[in-house]
Amino acid sequence: MPEIKVTPLGAGQDVGRSCILVSIGGKNIMLDCGMHMGYNDDRRFPDFSYITQNGRLTEFLDCVIISHFHLDHCGALPYMSEMVGYDGPIYMTHPTKAICPILLEDFRKITVDKKGETNFFTSQMIKDCMKKVVPLNLHQTVQVDDELEIKAYYAGHVLGAAMVQIKVGSESVVYTGDYNMTPDRHLGAAWIDKCRPDILISESTYATTIRDSKRCRERDFLKKVHETVERGGKVLIPVFALGRAQELCILLETFWERMNLKAPIYFSTGLTEKANHYYKLFITWTNQKIRKTFVQRNMFEFKHIKAFDRSYADNPGPMVVFATPGMLHAGQSLQIFKKWAGNEKNMVIMPGYCVQGTVGHKLLSGQKNMLDCFLFILCPTPIAPPAGLSMPGISFSKYSLEVKLQVEYMSFSAHADAKGIMQLIRMAEPRNVMLVHGEAKKMEFLKDKIEQEFTGISCFMPANGETTTIPTNPSVPVDISLNLLKREAAFGGPLPDPKKPRTMHGTLIMKDSSLRLVSPEQALKELDLNEHQLRFTCRVQLQDPYSDTDTLSRVYNHLKSVLKGYTVQHLPDGTVMVESIVLKVSSSAEDPNTKVVLLSWSYQVTPGCTIQGSQLPH
Amino acid sequence: MDEQTEEDDWFIESLHMYTDLHVFELQDPTRVIGWTSDKSVCVAGYKAAKVHEILELLLPQKLSAKDNQGLCPERDFKVLHGGFSEDSVNCLTHISGTRCVVTSGDPGSSLHLWHIGGEDCDVLKKIGDIHLKTETKSVCKLASGVAGAPSVLHGSQISDIELTDLTSRKLLYTAGEDASDKVSGLQFVDASVFVVCTDGGDLCLGDVRDPSGLRRVPLGEHGGSHWCMDLKKDGVSCSVARLSSSSQVVVSDLRDLRSAFSQAQLNIQPENTSCEFLSVTWAPVLDNCLAVSGLDGLVHIYDTTSWRPDSSEAPALFVHRGHVMSPGSEADAGASLVTTHVWHPWRPRTLLSAAMDGSLHVWDWVEKRTTS
Repeated sequence: MPEIKVTPLGAGQDVGRSCILVSIGGKNIMLDCGMHMGYNDDRRFPDFSYITQNGRLTEFLDCVIISHFHLDHCGALPYMSEMVGYDGPIYMTHPTKAICPILLEDFRKITVDKKGETNFFTSQMIKDCMKKVVPLNLHQTVQVDDELEIKAYYAGHVLGAAMVQIKVGSESVVYTGDYNMTPDRHLGAAWIDKCRPDILISESTYATTIRDSKRCRERDFLKKVHETVERGGKVLIPVFALGRAQELCILLETFWERMNLKAPIYFSTGLTEKANHYYKLFITWTNQKIRKTFVQRNMFEFKHIKAFDRSYADNPGPMVVFATPGMLHAGQSLQIFKKWAGNEKNMVIMPGYCVQGTVGHKLLSGQKNMLDCFLFILCPTPIAPPAGLSMPGISFSKYSLEVKLQVEYMSFSAHADAKGIMQLIRMAEPRNVMLVHGEAKKMEFLKDKIEQEFTGISCFMPANGETTTIPTNPSVPVDISLNLLKREAAFGGPLPDPKKPRTMHGTLIMKDSSLRLVSPEQALKELDLNEHQLRFTCRVQLQDPYSDTDTLSRVYNHLKSVLKGYTVQHLPDGTVMVESIVLKVSSSAEDPNTKVVLLSWSYQVTPGCTIQGSQLPH
Repeated sequence: MDEQTEEDDWFIESLHMYTDLHVFELQDPTRVIGWTSDKSVCVAGYKAAKVHEILELLLPQKLSAKDNQGLCPERDFKVLHGGFSEDSVNCLTHISGTRCVVTSGDPGSSLHLWHIGGEDCDVLKKIGDIHLKTETKSVCKLASGVAGAPSVLHGSQISDIELTDLTSRKLLYTAGEDASDKVSGLQFVDASVFVVCTDGGDLCLGDVRDPSGLRRVPLGEHGGSHWCMDLKKDGVSCSVARLSSSSQVVVSDLRDLRSAFSQAQLNIQPENTSCEFLSVTWAPVLDNCLAVSGLDGLVHIYDTTSWRPDSSEAPALFVHRGHVMSPGSEADAGASLVTTHVWHPWRPRTLLSAAMDGSLHVWDWVEKRTTS
């Protein structure tokens, strides 16, 4: 029985370190290779020993596919390819390929340079790993080998995020990665063909939530910014150069215009250029509105948002600054934060997740005193500072900085909720659904809901290391010869209904990976074979004192009288034929009175022609 | 285009009008929002469909964060438990002291008892039916018993008001009246005394210890063909507010139901003639405030403190226009009719409201300072 096997190595009933193994039509594919951000030990990477205990990754895997640039989907990639060892192809979209190494390098710096961890991948490993990447275009079918093909679809989660269809013959799997079914200010909604995969592997991060509207999230953001600016405070928004930053800029620009606000908004230098560069490269990945306006004017050139200079941070009065990096672990955002942290009128808005070991992470966990991390950042080898230590640009009183500014954590992450998952299932019409990237026991209701709304769909939620096997019924197309069809029609009855199964007789020829059904005669002719006839024989003993010829004549006469309506012939070669059945008589060697009657017939016995009553008349 | 501008204007205004505003889209519209704890509610589908979902939702955690609200990014509803009902859910009540809810559907012969799962399971299961003596002709209204073994008070008309024990399914009390007035609401005043409001606006007092019948107090001279009510206990006194389909509110003291303690003509033009969603509720924290919905696409808040015994026009303290301001609402005017609303048990100005388009809003309005 053909089947598809799916084994999550990470992300099964769990959020973080997404990594899923799929075996389909004899091919093995790894979907995503993520890192768990909550761990510092081995648990942060997927369990590759599941594969390596039986051999090398390169031999086992036909390819690796990365859905998007977030670290919980690509963070373990250099570890897997360079430290565990994998030399096969790694597929990802162009934007992911461009952004992924930047994020990996950022993360490496935090882990190795700041936290002092060893046994981690190096910058060179990231570079070597990226050399194995093969870029994907949207809706382009890529042939990994003769049989395995993959195709990327728009996922709308971040710039370059893709869902991917994997196909071998008529069997297929769709992996969603993270996706979003509602368009936002810079991205469109996820979309896929009605491709009817055997299994749809869907993320389910927000499967058990009903999402607050995008508008209300934006409202909250504007409200906080506006309130702070109104009271004369400064707002710092640490961002990653791409994605949400552009979205928030578009939002603030519109709001400033409408409210006729005068407070300056700055965007860190370099950021604009970098962002513009990427957006120009990947404009096809944004939503239609941005694509349209980009033709007329650069969507990322703003009227109210200006380039930031580090001297502006000391300017009096309200202002809003977007600065990198997003997790406040280094650079401009951290410098500005240090200047503004002591004033309760100011505010820092964290628009995304921060990894452990960053100032951002400490802030979000409610720490008010930044002593440890500041000293750590400034002095990689902690030393006891002399009394009254002061650093250029920052003065520490009692070596600590009290965080007095307001901290706001806002999540703008774009994931599908239960409604979105249902929408995608409706779109793709899979035969089976697998939910990963969420908590299992909390998803029993969703499973019921899917199975109830879509009759015939089974829903799976495997744990890490647990294999789900899905039997497939691949349909095998066969060409039928016209002759055979004509013959079928000649038998009478209705012509074959394409929607109903029907038995046909013929010879199946398998040649050069094509299958044809032809009549036996044609098959013989094509293959240059002679027809063989199969005959069955049987010996019957009779007690008859006459000669062999006489016995045969008596048999002949008897049959002729009994089998009226059948052709019974006495042939000159000493045989009797009843239709196609041949009879011969010979004497037994031991006893001449014992006659042996040899019967021989082919497979196709004429219906009704059976010899009854073996008692010959005397 | 004008609609778009109006929505945008409201959106900008909302920055000053609301402390918190959360807008959700349910798969199916709900006409019930029942508190199951001080952080969770039950909602359920009612429109003609093969199955109706019953969901227990955890309120956005941001609302429950008392200090450091800014550090809590969780602003979504979490689906704690969910289940499916073949019957539509027109009325729902959480049985106090249990993890059970009772629902009533389209007129018929039974109520349904559901168990909301625990921590380990997210499924909400039906655990039985409560069979009624007679087929009801209208929606059966429900109220949870407040003392003793879990029980439910139910009735669709005065003649079929009963109290049923949920464990044994035994009838504990029958009102024994034969009037066929439709019940628009019933509520317990204490462990045994309850008040019933008829569709015509009359109030009936009953006592589950006393099967000799109900004491009826007629409404008196008022217009309005449909009425509903809400009770609020405040120390020894208990206020009853009644709302009519012609936008009148009559407030009475339970000790003297014959006369109106205060009343007002609200400035609402009813858009809906059926009035099946008519609802008035007392604010649990704010003194003398009540919320009104079901007449149009808005939720109106009134402060009754200044109201007098003789009827006069009353201005609203606050109006929630969110349901008519949602994108797409202009396409179908009826779609934004508010189906129900409830007050948050301890946040003074927080309400939850739902509309026919499936929208569910959680909002907390900003108190206008007298100086501004």
